[in-house]
Amino acid sequence: MPSLAVLAPIVIPLGAAAVITAFGLAGVDVGRITCAAGAWGSVAALLVLWLSVRSTQELNLGALGFGSSLLLRIDAVGFAFGLIITVPAAVLLSLQPRTWQEATVAIVGVAAAVTAIESGGVVLTALAGGTAATLAVVQLDTEDVKAPRPSWGVLLGSWLALSWAGVIFEAGAGTDGFAAVPVARLTVPVFALITVAALGASGLFPWRSWPAQLWSRPSLRAAGMSVATLYPLGFYLLVREYDIGDGRYPQPALNGLLAGLGVAVALGAAIRAQGAPNRREFLGEVIPGFGGFALMTIALGTPLGLVAGLLSLAIAGALTACLALLPDRAGLASLVAIAAAVGLPPGLAFGARVLGIESTFEAGNSIGLIGLAGAAAWVVWIVAAARAVGLPAGRDTAVAETFPRIALAIAAATIVAGPALAAFQTAFANPAQGEVMTGSAAGSVAGGLVAVETVSTVLPALTLFIPLLAMAVIVYAFAGKAPVRGQARPALFTIPGRETSARLWAAIRAARVPEQYRSVVDLRAIEPAAAGGHAVLWLAALAALVFAVTR
Amino acid sequence: MIAAVAAFLGWLGVSIIVLADGRRGLAVGLAVATTGLAAIAWQEGDGVAALIVMGGGAAAAVLRYRAGPGGWVVMPPGSTPRLILCVAGGLVALWFAASVTIGPDGATRFAVLSVVGLSGARIVSSREPSSVVTAVATLALAAAVATRLGAGSPGLVPYVAAALIAAGALLLPVRVADAF
Amino acid sequence: MPSDLATCLPLLIAAAAALGLAVVMSPARISRTALLARGGTGLAGMVAIAGAPSLDLLVLALLVLAVLHASLPGKRDFSSRLQMPVVAVVLIVLALVFARVQGPELLQRLAAVGIAAGLAACVGLLPYIHVLEPEDMVAVSPTVWIGFVGPVAATAILVRARGLLSLDAGTDLGAMLVGLGLVNMLWGTLAAWRAESSTRAWHYSFMADWGLALCGFGLTVADGQAAALLILVSIVFGRLPLYLASRQALRENQSADRPINLMVAAVLAGSAPFAGFAARVLLLRGATQMSWPLALVLAAGMLLWLPVSLRLGRTLGQPRGRQALGVGIVIAANAVVGLYPLPLLTLASR
Repeated sequence: MPSLAVLAPIVIPLGAAAVITAFGLAGVDVGRITCAAGAWGSVAALLVLWLSVRSTQELNLGALGFGSSLLLRIDAVGFAFGLIITVPAAVLLSLQPRTWQEATVAIVGVAAAVTAIESGGVVLTALAGGTAATLAVVQLDTEDVKAPRPSWGVLLGSWLALSWAGVIFEAGAGTDGFAAVPVARLTVPVFALITVAALGASGLFPWRSWPAQLWSRPSLRAAGMSVATLYPLGFYLLVREYDIGDGRYPQPALNGLLAGLGVAVALGAAIRAQGAPNRREFLGEVIPGFGGFALMTIALGTPLGLVAGLLSLAIAGALTACLALLPDRAGLASLVAIAAAVGLPPGLAFGARVLGIESTFEAGNSIGLIGLAGAAAWVVWIVAAARAVGLPAGRDTAVAETFPRIALAIAAATIVAGPALAAFQTAFANPAQGEVMTGSAAGSVAGGLVAVETVSTVLPALTLFIPLLAMAVIVYAFAGKAPVRGQARPALFTIPGRETSARLWAAIRAARVPEQYRSVVDLRAIEPAAAGGHAVLWLAALAALVFAVTR
Repeated sequence: MIAAVAAFLGWLGVSIIVLADGRRGLAVGLAVATTGLAAIAWQEGDGVAALIVMGGGAAAAVLRYRAGPGGWVVMPPGSTPRLILCVAGGLVALWFAASVTIGPDGATRFAVLSVVGLSGARIVSSREPSSVVTAVATLALAAAVATRLGAGSPGLVPYVAAALIAAGALLLPVRVADAF
Repeated sequence: MPSDLATCLPLLIAAAAALGLAVVMSPARISRTALLARGGTGLAGMVAIAGAPSLDLLVLALLVLAVLHASLPGKRDFSSRLQMPVVAVVLIVLALVFARVQGPELLQRLAAVGIAAGLAACVGLLPYIHVLEPEDMVAVSPTVWIGFVGPVAATAILVRARGLLSLDAGTDLGAMLVGLGLVNMLWGTLAAWRAESSTRAWHYSFMADWGLALCGFGLTVADGQAAALLILVSIVFGRLPLYLASRQALRENQSADRPINLMVAAVLAGSAPFAGFAARVLLLRGATQMSWPLALVLAAGMLLWLPVSLRLGRTLGQPRGRQALGVGIVIAANAVVGLYPLPLLTLASR
């Protein structure tokens, strides 16, 4: 395979964008077809590139001018995350109607996200990821300027922080390549910088942040694309940190810290989900819930944890497409989507969570407590799901944007594919884990197409889940259709002190400088003095400069 | 001795420019400053440069004499601060040239510092275009003479440029601010 | 090609392109001939500044430009428009005198002060802000200094000052530039955010970008100089044309939140993939090599660009026809330079 082919997953969507723009300017809207071709073309290119060679392919097109070169590579990690991003994006771009301008921005956003995944160095990843973030914000604001969107400042700050980490590598090690930076350069401060960037880029916070807020927008076109392209990027950085650190983070305590944060994110999403006033808000917490579990397991630093995390992300990607196409009304599609989201057996989500919690116990020591907390969060999710079945609808999206049958098919596929967990793990997640944890001493994940073998146990996915699937189908067939009336339901529990903290936060936001001191900090009053052309100010500045250099 | 007199003429000329508001006063000030600066250049051994400075300054002075506010108007009422500026500026320049710095070009240093400083102050503090443009001409000539302070020969280009600026500035039509 | 001229070449090309774009985008009521004549004169002056073999001739060229600019008809009078550029000329001439005469080492440091202050006065940065009359045409406003002539003048001054000052004085100059840079960054972003008039907000946003450029110039490593050059290019062929495109909407008090406004905000904020982001990466690289606390301050300060940029992006209104084309060209050019700045930097380093 010629190395130039590494460009294909990026160039194909960009080419599609050029075609859409050219036709659009000429008054012909070919957005949806061309978008679909571009996005699926990118998926196909990734599959062909990886499956035909199954080893790392690189392409270095020379220096760019800001200290990094245009180094692109496709390895197992890039392949995995590439699919996590491009497949849901391709589904959404193929189905949802968009103006040609929106389609252009969306497909270029996909290209930018794929570039971030394929970048061989930290700075280039920051540039591409920052571009994807910018385009996502443009998409969201173009669609509806008043609806919730990610804080542009947080996104910009995150990618800037990553670029700073990259230049620290360049300054200290002479390179910022993921595979080339010496392990010793990943110090705790630099690790913290990259991790903060990752958490900010994906909105991985215990409180309600943009991955949840976007789902309450009137239209889910831009929201779905933004979550599909941006959300996995933060996790990508966390996985690449293993690459830089030769399979581990600089300090074991950092693994525990991040895993604890992951559990907090999952628990936070679960608590909000069980108190959601309507179905839309419940479903809005699904992706953050998956993200929390993924963070919990990826951060453990064990092969099983990483595998479980990657599986969770893949399922989250599929559910992103599902939720964006799901109409907000009661029905089979909503029911199956909720079942898939919450991780009911024998779905892929169920298998991934079982592996994830198993990985916390295998990690040992106090990490097991994190696993217990994760299990508790899962229980809360199940209860929340049962409650959500009868919740009223939120704000429904336009009929033209929803495809209930496709959403049902995606959700059902993640459940029905549960028995194939082992195959999925072997083909998809294990190679990525092996790529970044070559020197790991914590064992490995083995097994084949039938079972997942961990250090301490074996999960016979195929043989166990198929009977479970059969039982689920039988139960559903005999259960019949019971009418579900959407109505407001009380939350299972409320967090004590929540109202107090909300009032405190509102008071802080409303705080103002007292009237009698405003003139001291009133920039508008200072402005005429500074910009009014007063010679006294010039002389004073000159005197200050002289003093500064002569003292 | 000649250098000292030339330097003094330079200071005197720019002081007249600072103190005068009428075109005659400005023209005389410009002429005196030009004479001083040209003498400095001639004293340094560059006769051609001195001629160029003299030519440019003289042309500017003639042009100023023909256009601008009428009369001399030297030291009009309220010009005490300007007088103090001239004296203090001269003293500071003298101190720098004679005491802080060393070397044989003391007169050049004094002339340049005083002319540049005072003409700059005149431009910054005045609203009358005639006096501002006159000060600009003086500033340009002083900047050219200042090139003599560096090592090596600066050539004639700075002097030619300064002379052209001095004469050209006086030819430029200067408008007042728009009424609306 | 002399290295001094080579360093300014990308800026001259950017300025010429910006002038061309301004002529193309200008509304019918403004005489394109007059705009071309004035801009062409400015460009000629910039070429003279960049090509001047010594700082003395550079200063004289600056004086000529200042007088010509001040003599253009406008709301402010000749004298007030000439003030600050003349202060710059006086400070630089005095700096030259101090640098050349024999005397204590202190004189070299005073020369450095003169260069730094003179540069700030020439461009119109805090504390030597040129007085802005929002109703004035752009060609007669201080925007000419801060966004058109200033970048070339500042680069040329600093390139020549390198050979003039002693090592210690050079270090002092660098430190002063960083200090002025940080002050202007802070002032520019906060004042642009809080200013009542959008025209003033635009003007202060130029100052904020200049703050970054001064920090780049003050870092004595190659990355800092490269960062400064990129920022100045993004000012001349980014911020300036976008400001010109927004003038009509500013007069008519229009604002809009369309995709093009958001893209403009992204360009102005230095977001990826535009030139500002590449410049920020280089600046962080240079600052990290010199002092990581400075890099931290710079990184934190860079976030202040966002609220300002969103505000300024809206003031573009809904550009149509040639204006929309011009804005599109600026966005595309900034993206190209941001993704691949190497040719520009190579051109400057010849």
